[in-house]
Amino acid sequence: MSRRNHLERHYTKWGYIFVIPFVVVFLIFSFWPMASTIYYAFCYLKHAGNTNPELLTTIGKPWYQNFKEVFTAKSFWDAFKNTIVFFLASTIPEWLLAFWLAAMMTDRRMKIKGRFLWKTAFFFPKLVAGSTLGYAVLDQIISVVFQGSGYTMAALMMNGFGFKEKDLEFLTSVQFVIILATIFMHFGITFIYAVAGITGIPVEVFEAAEIDGANRAQTFFKVTLPSMRPMLFFITVVSVVDGIGMYDIPSLFGPFDTFRRNLTLMMYMEKQAFSGSYAYDRASAASLVLLAIYILMSGIIYFLFLRDKDEARLKKLNREKERELARSI
Amino acid sequence: MSNNELTLSEDKKRTIALKITTYVVSILLTIMILTPLYYMLKQTFGEEVKLVHGAGDNTQLVITPREHMITLKEFGKLFTKADFIGFRNSMLVTCTSTLLNMYFSALTAYAITAYEWKLRAAFEKFIIVAMMIPSTVASIGFVQMCYKYHLINNLAMLIIPALATPMTVFFIRMYLKATFSREIVESARIDGAGEFRIFNQIMLPLMKPAIATQTIFCFVASWTDEWVPRIILIDNSKNIKTLPLTGSIQGAGLLMLLPPIILYAFLSKHIVEGIALGSVKA
Repeated sequence: MSRRNHLERHYTKWGYIFVIPFVVVFLIFSFWPMASTIYYAFCYLKHAGNTNPELLTTIGKPWYQNFKEVFTAKSFWDAFKNTIVFFLASTIPEWLLAFWLAAMMTDRRMKIKGRFLWKTAFFFPKLVAGSTLGYAVLDQIISVVFQGSGYTMAALMMNGFGFKEKDLEFLTSVQFVIILATIFMHFGITFIYAVAGITGIPVEVFEAAEIDGANRAQTFFKVTLPSMRPMLFFITVVSVVDGIGMYDIPSLFGPFDTFRRNLTLMMYMEKQAFSGSYAYDRASAASLVLLAIYILMSGIIYFLFLRDKDEARLKKLNREKERELARSI
Repeated sequence: MSNNELTLSEDKKRTIALKITTYVVSILLTIMILTPLYYMLKQTFGEEVKLVHGAGDNTQLVITPREHMITLKEFGKLFTKADFIGFRNSMLVTCTSTLLNMYFSALTAYAITAYEWKLRAAFEKFIIVAMMIPSTVASIGFVQMCYKYHLINNLAMLIIPALATPMTVFFIRMYLKATFSREIVESARIDGAGEFRIFNQIMLPLMKPAIATQTIFCFVASWTDEWVPRIILIDNSKNIKTLPLTGSIQGAGLLMLLPPIILYAFLSKHIVEGIALGSVKA
């Protein structure tokens, strides 16, 4: 045993060697830009191609100048609101749809055929995403939405449920189209990962649940979801990263929209930094807001998935015991 | 007994109802998803479909017939046109960045799994933190770095950063956690294989499902990425353009579909399935 340990120790240096490329590239291309972005948020750095940041305090301005400019701009708050609304309104239905379909298609008793074909079909929008087909997908969705909502509107108003045209206007709005398009573009990914997670659970677990008389909903929430925790964590992170950083689809409506209905935080950042006065400093301040949102979301995800509740309780108990021991001595 | 039978048959009924619902929903979704392809073909070879943004909440679909249809011969010409450079650049960027991403992510994940180095747990935590904060947040710093060291308009800036993608590392690590066997490594060592050789020739093939899954997603993400090219490739000369930026060349849209679809056709059967990822907590 000790010989084996010795051998293991002999090889540990390879662990360090193998992560060197990753660490070096990460430090240069992710960590350093991150650190400098934080620094620029407290600097004066405007005009295209300017690479000479001056700390705001050294040129006689308050250190929070950039944040003030960002927080007092109405367009920022529009972007902030849009980002949160788009994220929630697209992720929640997307998850419901993807997980429902994944649960149905992996159900042992239902034996749905052609899971591979469905996977391909659902992933298709993402597979062919890009400017031209992006438009085509949008076209399709818009036409369906317009027709569908037109009929719905007419029917609802004729029946006199008390709906006015104004109440239903959102059905034809840019925001609604963006949300629907995002759901369509993204739910294939969630579906594929969810299927991978569910099929990874040993069959015996489901058999045991069946014998215990659990119905489908109970099995899904009490057995399936807790058993695929690592995958669930991964799916959540993918959804959050893609959802908050939403850029491609809203920007399809891009410069045409003067009402800022499609403006997201990423687009706001781009607008500040790469047009007009090329305010890299203000864009950096906006990036920090994005960063704060990501950190907040990570915290929530951490408490939902990664924190081992039993372990935390054990640690707390141990600490109390130690304290008692110390007190008794 | 009869009571039991009754509930059984009711259960069966419910199963059939659910089955039908699932099929109907799936088929409707598939129709919704696949009709754009029809529009796409029509757009490439026939009419022009455009979104027109009017005042207020008016977004209209305008379909106008092209002056002449693009023929297959013209479609073939795309490959010789100067615009083709966008396609070539996109291929170059996407393929190399995906390859780098996969190889080094696998290497990093393997390093976390196979060796018991001191900072291992800390490094794994760092990966998890890093994957939750995407590099797009640091875009300004990234662009400023490119300005400073004259790396703007350089395709390498789209490729090299892909080498360190925490998301891929985490996914492969999750897969390795479930499938890694130390015995294989040990017996290879006894046979005299070096550590690099063990990784390249034995472990890398074993990680195929995880790598194939991530290859598809990363290839598509890189192929359709608009953000980084938009901020890095600002020169208007054609030789640095990548595909999402090369506007509306007739047929380019169709050309653009092909690489991801071909890749998917080859790799999709390897997508992770049926392997317990991570530990199942009782």
